[in-house]
Amino acid sequence: MNTKSMNGSKKQNMESEAADRRVAALQGAMLAVNFAMVSFICIFIYMTTERIRARYDAREFLDSVVTIPADPRMNLIICLSLMGMLVVTFAIRHFWTSLSNSWTVVTLLVDFIVCAAVIYQLDFNYNGLLLLAFANVIAYVRDGKIKLLFVILAVCGYLVADYNLLSIYMPLYRVVDYIRYYPANTQQYLSSINSIMASLNMILFIAYCIYVINRQRGTIEEVNQLYHELQTANEQLHEYADMSERMAQTRERNRLAREIHDTLGHTLTGIATGLDACLALMDISPEQTKKQLELLSKVSREGIKDIRRSVNELRPDSLERLSLEVAIRKMVTEMSQVSDVKIYFETDEKHLKFDEDEENAIYRVIQEGITNAVRHGKANRIWITLKKVDGEIILVIRDDGIGAKEIKSGFGTKHMKERIEMLRGTVTFDGSNGFTVTARIPIRWGETYD
Amino acid sequence: MKKRNILIGVAAAAVFGGIGIAAYAGNMQHETVLEFGMFAGSNWDVANANSFVIIDKAIELFEKEHPGVRIHYYSGVRKDDYSEWFSRKLLAGQEPDVFMVLGTDFNQFSSMGVMKDLEPLIERDASFDPEKYFDSAFRTGQYGGKQYALPYEVVPTLMFVNKSLLTKEGIAMPDENWTWDDLYEICQKVTKDVDGDGLLDQFGTYNYDWLDAVYTNGAEIFESDGSECYLAGDRVVEAVKFIGQIDDLYQGQNVTQEDFNAGDVAFMPLTFAEYRTYKTYPYRIKRYTGFQWDCITMPAGGQGENLSQVDTLLMGISTNTRHEELAWEFLKLLTYNEEIQMEIFRSSQGASVLKEVTQSEEMESIVQEDMEEGDTVISGELLGQVIETGRIKPQFKKYEQAMSLADSEVSSILENDKTVDSSLKILQRTINTYLQQ
Repeated sequence: MNTKSMNGSKKQNMESEAADRRVAALQGAMLAVNFAMVSFICIFIYMTTERIRARYDAREFLDSVVTIPADPRMNLIICLSLMGMLVVTFAIRHFWTSLSNSWTVVTLLVDFIVCAAVIYQLDFNYNGLLLLAFANVIAYVRDGKIKLLFVILAVCGYLVADYNLLSIYMPLYRVVDYIRYYPANTQQYLSSINSIMASLNMILFIAYCIYVINRQRGTIEEVNQLYHELQTANEQLHEYADMSERMAQTRERNRLAREIHDTLGHTLTGIATGLDACLALMDISPEQTKKQLELLSKVSREGIKDIRRSVNELRPDSLERLSLEVAIRKMVTEMSQVSDVKIYFETDEKHLKFDEDEENAIYRVIQEGITNAVRHGKANRIWITLKKVDGEIILVIRDDGIGAKEIKSGFGTKHMKERIEMLRGTVTFDGSNGFTVTARIPIRWGETYD
Repeated sequence: MKKRNILIGVAAAAVFGGIGIAAYAGNMQHETVLEFGMFAGSNWDVANANSFVIIDKAIELFEKEHPGVRIHYYSGVRKDDYSEWFSRKLLAGQEPDVFMVLGTDFNQFSSMGVMKDLEPLIERDASFDPEKYFDSAFRTGQYGGKQYALPYEVVPTLMFVNKSLLTKEGIAMPDENWTWDDLYEICQKVTKDVDGDGLLDQFGTYNYDWLDAVYTNGAEIFESDGSECYLAGDRVVEAVKFIGQIDDLYQGQNVTQEDFNAGDVAFMPLTFAEYRTYKTYPYRIKRYTGFQWDCITMPAGGQGENLSQVDTLLMGISTNTRHEELAWEFLKLLTYNEEIQMEIFRSSQGASVLKEVTQSEEMESIVQEDMEEGDTVISGELLGQVIETGRIKPQFKKYEQAMSLADSEVSSILENDKTVDSSLKILQRTINTYLQQ
């Protein structure tokens, strides 16, 4: 199973590497198209300017334009250098595989600024560069907030950096004006180059988006499948847990049966046989019978001791070894430690010594109460008081949690109720201010056997 | 890994920093050179041998005041070539820091954003007071409500009067508040066939056109932002009709420059530059020698005043200049310095754009120096008044085209004796369509 999954992940890695290469190829193609487009615009404007100057058409040309770039040669140099920077950041992202996330974001920010600068330098004649910057964001930024920020930036940029919109507010040069300088057939040729490149960029961007989105959807499906598998495994685990619990119960029953058989069965059998002997002896020798009865009494006391010992063995660990108060304090400390809840235990009794079933019930109720307060009440503090009033034990477990408007059974309250009722006690619950459990247990001043 | 990142970052910063410092140092090595763009000759189409005198003087003054700064200008660009020369410089991004702008280029260049908006500079400069300029001249440098240029030299249009002809006909010289009616009356009197060949050979006006009449009738042809034209307005209609009436006096005959030069025409609109040129040596002996002449204001129409068109030579700063403050200082020296502006009267033919300079006694004495004794000099006060109240061309991008369209159409209306009212209405619609395109 292990080798199989390793093979699987290797295959997946290879697949994702191939996909990464395809993404990189698309990004590279977009970069190339944009580079070509920007170069085309700059070189075309520079060459046309030179041509106009050489032909002494300058003044007439000016009449046909909105405005002109400040310095076409400088424009060309600046734009090509800026595009060069885009190539550098592209290369850094692709060949520097161990680039940290924050550095990737820095390169993307640089891209954005460079794209904005080029678009500004080109007087908003070509804003397709923003698509390039946007494509990189889609691929690299995983963090939702940063991605959203970039997306907003790109969308706003794309909307605002529109020639037609901005030319209302400031004079901007138009590539079209420079194209119009040429004869009609050359104009058509130039316009088509211009629009084909712009469309190519758009098509690449759309293809790229579709590819990346598809890939991300594939990842989502993969995650869904894994989640499903995990759930199945979880269910299986639950079943295993149930089964082992049942097995533990069976083991416990067998032990009980064995104990009863070994101790009670043995003693009772002995007593029954001894009593039979007494019945036979009674008329013949009362003295003998008396002796026999004394022996039986001794045997039955031994039996009681045995039963007490075996019952002791069945008690919870702490209670078996410790007194009730110490056991409760130990539990409280342990719970505080594991659940980050402050638990205060208070009692005014110096000797907490009750019958075993009573101690058991008190211990279990407290345990249950703390568990409920932590699990359902989300409590931060729990106060437990235990006192004796008029021959009754009063146990109060109060917490500062969210409480409960209606007390539903199954909130762990059912068990508590059962345990207390078995001792003829009463238990009340109050969920109005935190959650309060009040249990009253009448004390049996228990039969002592010795 | 981190170390490597930092190293590469430092290396990149070093390379960029190095380039920056190298570029800066490259700039620092040379002295600051301020380019000045100007054309040789006069803006007013009159001969001008001294076109560099004023500029050279200004440069000398400027370089003395700003050591380490040199002003460079290209000599030898003629006015006719200047527009193309400047446009070629502009296309290559090599336009001068400070430059002269032709009236026909100003609107186009301003709309393109190649001329610096001077308003922030004006606001920053506490020593600069626009009130010192003639209002009309100052406003010529405005486009779309912003000041893009400052006036350097101004030339109003005056009315040339052939004094000899009027004296011969026994007509008194009109005063400066004369009207269309006075003009028409004189024209009626002087227009005649003197030699009896059946053809008219003496006329009232030459070149007095409908625009001169429009300006003096208080009419506006265009909305100031060029959104609309008012060619069918009653003042314009009146003006065109008035020109039609005068034309009718000439019975379809064309009055020519030769008629005027021969002394057979009583009135002709003439720029102040022409007035100065032909009143002074050596040109006064080449033209208008056979008669005595002088200049007065234009006649006022029924609804207007004695106004005339004012032409201004503008200067501006390039938006892309790297020496904004120096460019501003130099522009101010040329257009705002009284000493330099006084030079305009000494070495050029126009008038100063500064009120105090044009209306000074010094100006009168400078102009008098070159004139023949006995010739009266136009008084500074009258000149100033003509300039101050003068009409300027509206500054909007389509003005030149719209105006030439209107001018040729109105000429055709007058030539072909079309109905003025309806023809102007049609023309107004046509031009409005063009303006709103």
